[in-house]
Amino acid sequence: MTFSGILTVVWYSALPWLWLISVMLVAFLVPQLLARMKSYSFTSKGGMGSKYIPPLVVLLAFFLVPLQTQSSLAYVNTWVDWMNLIGVSIGLGFYAWLVFHPICFMRNSK
Amino acid sequence: MPKKHLPFESVSRRDLLKLGLGAGVVGPLALSSRGAKAVNTQAHIVIVGAGAGGLSMANRLTNSLQGAKITIIDTREKHYYQPGWTLVASGVWNQDKTVTDIVDWLPKSVNWVKGHVAEYDPDNNRVLLEDGQAVSYDQLIVASGLQLRYDLIQGMDVDLIGQGKGVGSVYASMDASAKTNEEIKRWISKGGGTGLFNLPPTALKCAGAPIKMTFTTLHRLEDTGRREQFNVEFMTPSGGLFSVPFYNDFIKQRFSEQGVTRNDLWTLKAIDADAKKATYSVKGGEDQVKDYDFIHVVPPMTAGAALENSPLAFQPNENFKGWMKVDRETLQNPDYFNVWGIGDVMGMPSNKTAASVKMQAKVLEENFLASLQGKPLTAKHNGYTSCPMITAIGKAMLVEFGWDSKLLPSFSFIDPKKESWTVWVMKERMLRPAYYAMLEGKI
Ligand SMILES: Cc1cc2nc3c(=O)[nH]c(=O)nc-3n(C[C@H](O)[C@H](O)[C@H](O)COP(=O)(O)OP(=O)(O)OC[C@H]3O[C@@H](n4cnc5c(N)ncnc54)[C@H](O)[C@@H]3O)c2cc1C
Repeated sequence: MTFSGILTVVWYSALPWLWLISVMLVAFLVPQLLARMKSYSFTSKGGMGSKYIPPLVVLLAFFLVPLQTQSSLAYVNTWVDWMNLIGVSIGLGFYAWLVFHPICFMRNSK
Repeated sequence: MPKKHLPFESVSRRDLLKLGLGAGVVGPLALSSRGAKAVNTQAHIVIVGAGAGGLSMANRLTNSLQGAKITIIDTREKHYYQPGWTLVASGVWNQDKTVTDIVDWLPKSVNWVKGHVAEYDPDNNRVLLEDGQAVSYDQLIVASGLQLRYDLIQGMDVDLIGQGKGVGSVYASMDASAKTNEEIKRWISKGGGTGLFNLPPTALKCAGAPIKMTFTTLHRLEDTGRREQFNVEFMTPSGGLFSVPFYNDFIKQRFSEQGVTRNDLWTLKAIDADAKKATYSVKGGEDQVKDYDFIHVVPPMTAGAALENSPLAFQPNENFKGWMKVDRETLQNPDYFNVWGIGDVMGMPSNKTAASVKMQAKVLEENFLASLQGKPLTAKHNGYTSCPMITAIGKAMLVEFGWDSKLLPSFSFIDPKKESWTVWVMKERMLRPAYYAMLEGKI
């Protein structure tokens, strides 16, 4: 497949989710920028939220992602299915950390 | 329940361009520049049919030719993503997800004649339209798909679909697939009764669709918790369910595990929609009449009268009689070297899928350009076809094969013989984007 072919497929796949991608981008960028104005870095101390919410998100994603695709955990069957589900869940957990870590940092530094 | 519409879901490419959304992102999709190695020609190329094959070729040839005049002939204003209709009829998708405007996929330089070809006259290099207009060509690409012959089933009319008479058919149209979903819901809400699922006695597009409809309906019946109240029967005119032996055996096994009664060598002959009775001719036996609460009708399919009655079709003494005659590897008509085929219209084993069109388009473009330059035709179609076999709402198998039913898996890491959630997600989320990229001639 050509590069422009891949871009085209990615574009059409993302199209229904542009609103969500935008919301997630804002939810990621705003706390990051605000916290960085107060000298936040990834190694800064977070808080309860950044400790417990990301694993909770991973756990929830594990059940909810198959449901979101109109499927169910019972149909996650092959090793590729498991790798995909684990990958997506961990990715969402990491995203939650990226959002909540700077928020907790800002609360701490109030 | 079909999902609610998401924002941007049915926004056309044209609307997005109007919105001016990130030219950097849309750029590669929208403004196709002519390929660096464009072939110069003054030829008039006529494409019959603006479906999956016709649009793909219009886009590909616009990019790869310089100076050509390209004309496409079709009466339809709308383009339908037909592979999505199984999801619509299974209550998974909203029907709006399957329709776009043809004009959004056509390059501006392509001349669109809104007409229907009534006659092919390859000896004089022209086609005649229903309104009497003649369109001459130097090169002809036939991409007219196939015709659904509901008229060959006595008493059957597509208008019966969705009238509360238990008649459904995923093939008939986008609306019909939504109405089929309504009919299935009505049957389920009755709490019991008989559902008859059929295969036609001819070649059919997406040969897996009638089976997918059976599996998704079984899923819905099982979800009621009262599966034993419903009798499900599947009729096969040939005795076979699928052309690849592994999948044929798999489906047979699954049907018996899920309590589906198979009636082999039964062909749907007539229906009496008011009485809810279906008549079957049975090979080697007497006609049988079955009562039903829901029937999924799959009509006989042919290449359409214009093609069948033309010198471009396989003759009655040949295999694939009535379908378009092409060399199955080069996609060129062996009698008229300036006539080519793509898609469902062609006479060849299986290959009536959009997935086949995707592979054929590449081969056809390469051979078409070679022929214009007087070079030998070296690209060869390997018979690739594919169908994500949905075995329940939420899981599927990635069935991909070529000539002689040889499995041709695209992804080494996906086991083609296992049901998988990933394959379901591909079917539900990725194949429509890939199809659109194909229409644009990008893949
Ligand atoms: C319910 C269903 C499920 C499917 N599922 C899958 C799937 O899962 N995977 C897959 O790969 N494929 C699937 N398909 C098959 C796929 O949609 C077709 O194989 C594909 O669309 C074929 O492309 P085509 O260009 O040959 O025909 P089409 O896309 O049907 O286009 C033919 C065009 O020609 C026009 N036309 C016809 N006759 C004339 C004439 N005489 N003059 C002018 N114009 C004419 C028609 O108006 C139409 O626009 C499915 C199809 C259906 C119906």
